[in-house]
Amino acid sequence: MRQISSAGAYAPRLRIDAEEFREAWGRFGGAGVRTKAVQDADEDALTMGAEAGRRALDAGGFEGDDVDWLAFATTTPPLEEEDLTVRLGSVLGVPRTATTRTVTGSTRSGVRALADALTAGGTDGVALVVAADCPRGAPDGDEEHAAGAGAAAFAVGDSGAEVVDTATYSEPYPGTRFRSAGDDEVQGLGVTQYDREAYRATLVGAIDALDADLGAVDAAALQAPDGKLPYRVAADLGVSTEQVRAATTVHELGDTGAASAPLGLVSALADGAERVLVAGFGSGASATAMVVENESSVPVGTSLDGDVSLTYADYLRRRGEITSGPPAGGGAYVSVPSWTRSVPQRHRLAAGQCLVCGSLQFPPEGACRDCASLSGFDRVVLATTGTVEAVTTIAAGGAPPEFGEQVAQSGPFASAVVSFGGPDGGAVSVPVQVVLAGDDAVSTGDRVRAVVRRIYTQEDVSRYGVKVVPATG
Amino acid sequence: MRDAYVVGAGQSPFGSFPDESYRSLFLTAFERAVESVPKGFDPTDVDEAVVGTLGVGGRQLGLSGPAVTEYVGLHGVPCTRVENACAASGYAVRQAVQAVKSGMADVVLTGGFEVMGDLSGDVTKYWLGVSGETEWERLTGTTFAGVYAQMASAYLAETDATVEDLSRVAVKNHANGAANPDAHLGFECSLDDARGSPTVADPLNLYHCCPTSDGASAVLVVSEDVVDEYSDAPIRVAGVGAASDAVGLFHRDTYTSIPASVAAAERAYEMAGVGPDDVDFAEVHDCFAIAELLAYEDLGFCERGEAATLVRDGVTARDGDLPVNPSGGLKSKGHPIGATGAGQVVEAFKQLAGRAGQRQIAGATRALTHNVGGSGGAAVVHVLEVAE
Repeated sequence: MRQISSAGAYAPRLRIDAEEFREAWGRFGGAGVRTKAVQDADEDALTMGAEAGRRALDAGGFEGDDVDWLAFATTTPPLEEEDLTVRLGSVLGVPRTATTRTVTGSTRSGVRALADALTAGGTDGVALVVAADCPRGAPDGDEEHAAGAGAAAFAVGDSGAEVVDTATYSEPYPGTRFRSAGDDEVQGLGVTQYDREAYRATLVGAIDALDADLGAVDAAALQAPDGKLPYRVAADLGVSTEQVRAATTVHELGDTGAASAPLGLVSALADGAERVLVAGFGSGASATAMVVENESSVPVGTSLDGDVSLTYADYLRRRGEITSGPPAGGGAYVSVPSWTRSVPQRHRLAAGQCLVCGSLQFPPEGACRDCASLSGFDRVVLATTGTVEAVTTIAAGGAPPEFGEQVAQSGPFASAVVSFGGPDGGAVSVPVQVVLAGDDAVSTGDRVRAVVRRIYTQEDVSRYGVKVVPATG
Repeated sequence: MRDAYVVGAGQSPFGSFPDESYRSLFLTAFERAVESVPKGFDPTDVDEAVVGTLGVGGRQLGLSGPAVTEYVGLHGVPCTRVENACAASGYAVRQAVQAVKSGMADVVLTGGFEVMGDLSGDVTKYWLGVSGETEWERLTGTTFAGVYAQMASAYLAETDATVEDLSRVAVKNHANGAANPDAHLGFECSLDDARGSPTVADPLNLYHCCPTSDGASAVLVVSEDVVDEYSDAPIRVAGVGAASDAVGLFHRDTYTSIPASVAAAERAYEMAGVGPDDVDFAEVHDCFAIAELLAYEDLGFCERGEAATLVRDGVTARDGDLPVNPSGGLKSKGHPIGATGAGQVVEAFKQLAGRAGQRQIAGATRALTHNVGGSGGAAVVHVLEVAE
């Protein structure tokens, strides 16, 4: 069996405190959740997954090119039909010949995808597993109160942490948590004892099927639909509440769905845990459990800190609950085929180096802007950090209509011309949107870092591309 | 090549006119231009028409040229519509001059028109914004205000100019526009008004941005062979210069200058055999206050980085040494996109002919007009002078 060679994790910077819900509703349904992460208006499972995937690859010293197997696990794919691993792979630079699969429909899918990667036969390269989720429920529902956002990723190769045992168990328990076709909100019937029994029985079933000794684990990364349930069943699973606490992000990030147990594993690996029980659960109900031995301390790259606090009104805006959607006047039209031609630039800052004069050009098309040659370009990829050359913060009323809904949800953004360096020196200017949150401010001369976010959605097709965030540190 | 002369010019009022169409506004401009010809003008003399419009507020993308010339009775006269965003009718005037100079035509009607005021803000921002670099620049969330704001950020970082200097441009142009009965926003504003208005795209506030307007302009350009039939005091088109550049700001080597303006001005000065010191006043493209400061430098009115001193010291005020935008400019007179470039020539004609009323600049004999498309993808400069 192959091994976990490196891991990555990402959660949005935006946080809301449980107290905000209590003030708004007089109660908070996310038991045991203190704060939770909230995806920005231009983030979704694909963009968060790309952030975690990039960190896992970077931590392990891998390039996207090294990947020959890619899995994307989520219960909240931005599209119900269309292979999202293609765009995820494009953002991460994964070769077009890689084997890909999407695992969805269950919060267990993150652990399921990791188990699949470990046993995927015949792969010489890196198998990359990305689990990302941002569940959503009705505003007054417990599922929504607990719903967080985050992503975890694992690069699976020939060395690293070994998975010594894996087991799966399933048993019919309909109606505990489900999302009907065409609906974007999960719901449950709220039959408390029945719901708990579904969770307990399937996890016990999977863990009982393991041969490994659970007493020796440092941490137990359990599926955490809220911050209480894992502790409530710990004893039945043969683990202590301390072991559960050592591998959970639910208290800070909320319910991260398919990324829940994977995020627990990444945080345990980051803390140097040597032996970890991982147990993913999904309603229906099914569970997959595994024991990970991390004697070599695999490298981990995480970005899980939150530094921007939202009020409940901010939160409703971010989720589009109280905004009115795109304006009737329409937006700037860029046809999908035309957008698709620019995908290498949008997804990976692919630029060109003039075959005649060697200058960098972005986008690499048409005549060279320096020597007017039409000879063409060598493809190069720009650095992911750059320097602001010119910038404006667009006030709420000043945004073009295709960004009106984004401003309604997230507030003002900046738009900048940023100079990015090339691999062999030189630099080229690229127009980018600057994502602003909290007290962020951007001026000429500031350093910024490229991220991939949703640029806008037109004709129901979301276009993803490079934006920048203020570079820290 | 033959000389070309302006013998008449007129504009409709610029403003918001829900009861007018682009055709009826153009008729007003046309009638005023005809009335302004000293020795009278017979419309059947028109050989050719060249008019500018961006797209009539996005509602008439094709054949908008014949739509206005047929409306004003120029049946059968060949009409070409020129589109270069906000420089549409500056380029239309240039085409008219070329037609006359080449010998293809003796009498050419030129001008421009736009109707923008009856659209929702979103529709206006939609179609204006796709007149720049759409696929990259626009999709970072900018309209033109955003792109000029980026230029302002770079300019303010590079020079000792301040946001207050941008406000001074607005105060000056409103003072001028208050004396122009055809101005859209013909009222004076104080420096406090101009400083304290809401931000549109930082550092630009509302007073640093021109309005969107309805309006039309018309100019009659004739050859030296027939000029005597129309006027004994015609205005000679001494110099014409134009240049194109990258449509997107990020593709230019500088963000603190509009290279197309520099090149257009150099060509116009060379053709006219004059320099910036020989100009008595100018109508420049102040779509945003920063654009007027950049124009001072690009047109050679001052050294690089010194533009703010011109507006601080009153050099470009109507009673200064080099009045700029005596009409009120785009800021106060208004900016019906397609009408703007030819509208600048209308003001130059009025001033040089001594018909500018209470905003008349005494003794002016040579004018410069400067019209920019987008954030500098196209620019056109004319030097006009009282014929010897």
